[in-house]
Amino acid sequence: MPIANFTIYLFTMFGIYALFAMSLNLQVGYAGLVNFGQVAFFALGAYTSALLVVKAGLPIAVGIIAGMLASGFFGCLLAWPTKSLKSDYWAITTLAAGEVIRLFALNEKWLTEGPFGVMNIPQPLEGLIDKYYNIFYFIFVLIVVAVVYMLLSMLTDSPFGRNLKAIRDAEDLSKSLGKNTQKIKVQVMAIGGLVAGLAGAIFAHYMVYISPENFRPLETFLIWGMIIVGGRANNRGAILGAVVIQTFYVSTRFVGNYVPIGSDLMSAARMIVIGLLMVSFLIFRPEGLLRERKKTYPDEV
Amino acid sequence: MLKIENIEKSFGQLKAVNGVSLEIEKDDIFGLIGPNGSGKSTLFNIISGFYRKDKGEIYFDGERIDDLLPNQIVERGLCRTFQVSRAPERMTVLENMLLAAKNQVGENPLNALLKRPMVERSRKKNLKKAKELLSELDLFHLKDEYSGNLSGGQKKLLALGRIFMLEPKMVLLDEPTAGVNPTLTNNILKGMQNLREKTENSFFIVEHDMGVISDVCRKVFVLNSGEILAEGSPEEIQQNDKVLDAYLGRN
Ligand SMILES: Nc1ncnc2c1ncn2[C@@H]1O[C@H](COP(=O)(O)OP(=O)(O)OP(=O)(O)O)[C@@H](O)[C@H]1O
Ligand SMILES: [Mg+2]
Repeated sequence: MPIANFTIYLFTMFGIYALFAMSLNLQVGYAGLVNFGQVAFFALGAYTSALLVVKAGLPIAVGIIAGMLASGFFGCLLAWPTKSLKSDYWAITTLAAGEVIRLFALNEKWLTEGPFGVMNIPQPLEGLIDKYYNIFYFIFVLIVVAVVYMLLSMLTDSPFGRNLKAIRDAEDLSKSLGKNTQKIKVQVMAIGGLVAGLAGAIFAHYMVYISPENFRPLETFLIWGMIIVGGRANNRGAILGAVVIQTFYVSTRFVGNYVPIGSDLMSAARMIVIGLLMVSFLIFRPEGLLRERKKTYPDEV
Repeated sequence: MLKIENIEKSFGQLKAVNGVSLEIEKDDIFGLIGPNGSGKSTLFNIISGFYRKDKGEIYFDGERIDDLLPNQIVERGLCRTFQVSRAPERMTVLENMLLAAKNQVGENPLNALLKRPMVERSRKKNLKKAKELLSELDLFHLKDEYSGNLSGGQKKLLALGRIFMLEPKMVLLDEPTAGVNPTLTNNILKGMQNLREKTENSFFIVEHDMGVISDVCRKVFVLNSGEILAEGSPEEIQQNDKVLDAYLGRN
């Protein structure tokens, strides 16, 4: 791959993972919902959109929106057990939920083609823009990231966002002030689902080919790394974390060109290093690169 | 206004609340006293919906509330504070106050995105009220401090401030002055009386300081081992033999 193409690929991936990390950040960073199954939303968005477009022949825009809705709906479902489960048990539930979606994609061959994956996924405007398609797609992703960032910032700055932090820091206080914490959790899981589903759909139409391999629990681990390194309860932190981790993750591929180690060993070593990076951040800079900002109100009164 | 009938609650073998019945009227301050572990906080937790009662009935404003969720009970105008103050680690004092304001337009995520002008108006209104209340409570200089960093007494004051934002009909205060210095205690009592004058609501307070009780309460209930031992005016209570034996002690 020529270096220019590679750079555009890398930046497009920054964008897709920035969306993905922002969705997790909303749930974990703001609302304190420890979700280990975020990849499920990504997979649902990707598969829903890809299958609707490839198999049902629907327009790509419809596919993407359906992918978001499917993920959002899955978020509502997943939020339901927070009612009765303690947060650590719920975390395990989310981990399982993530795997269930992948295993479904792997085994229900009639629908998903199983391990062979979905091929020849159409791309938006692909006939019209030939030569610079990857630049076009990058700009498309960039615009989506900007819009999502703006909308999420509006949400996290609003009374809704304040309710999320209150649930995170003192749930029984929120209840004692009349907040319907269960409803708020459903809402935040749904919104996080919408965003992660969008990321997944955009990923599918970018890669043109998806298979269950793309949606291993490892993906959730990576975006956790992003919000740990970038900073939680800070949307910019999530974007920065996506850039840092993704750069590291992708660039270590080239280490193999210079250091004679096998590719199996390489991919294991790469995860170990990312794990170490996360642990060092948790110990030495637990708030991440960009810390949660204190919300103050300029003196207007 | 608040009517409790035969409430029972056990934790394993322990009967924490054992057949408590009492009634609290509108527009006054009531006290609940009793030795440590006598079930005062447990009773508050049951009234506010945080614990499920085993037996009995609770009515508020004529409506049965003992099977409602905490937020539903607050919606009906009955709210509570905690004996151990809750203070969100990474929310400022001012945000705490704003959090408590009820029916904010922007609490609904769709409104937060689509009804910006309305959200902005309600924010301004609440901000103004929050700042005024903070000044009254002598917390204004701490408005941008994280509530997690406040002292114990300041957290108690803030808990009261949040209640004032909420403007309930009735408030259960669990030891509002415990661990608070005399000046702050005065602030708390003053704040309570101010609010009552403004809104005619009632307070039901757990308090160990008999001085405070005598100063503010019209009527006191004494709880001992989960049972009501006596009730009456503060003077009557202080002369009651059973109460003297169980709680106040003789000198
Ligand atoms: N969640 C719980 N689980 C088990 N036991 C509990 C629980 N809550 C309270 N208890 C027990 O119930 C009894 C009453 O406790 P409660 O907190 O109501 O007392 P209290 O009158 O508020 O005391 P204090 O003046 O010390 O605050 C105690 O023996 C306590 O250990
Ligand atoms: Mg108590």
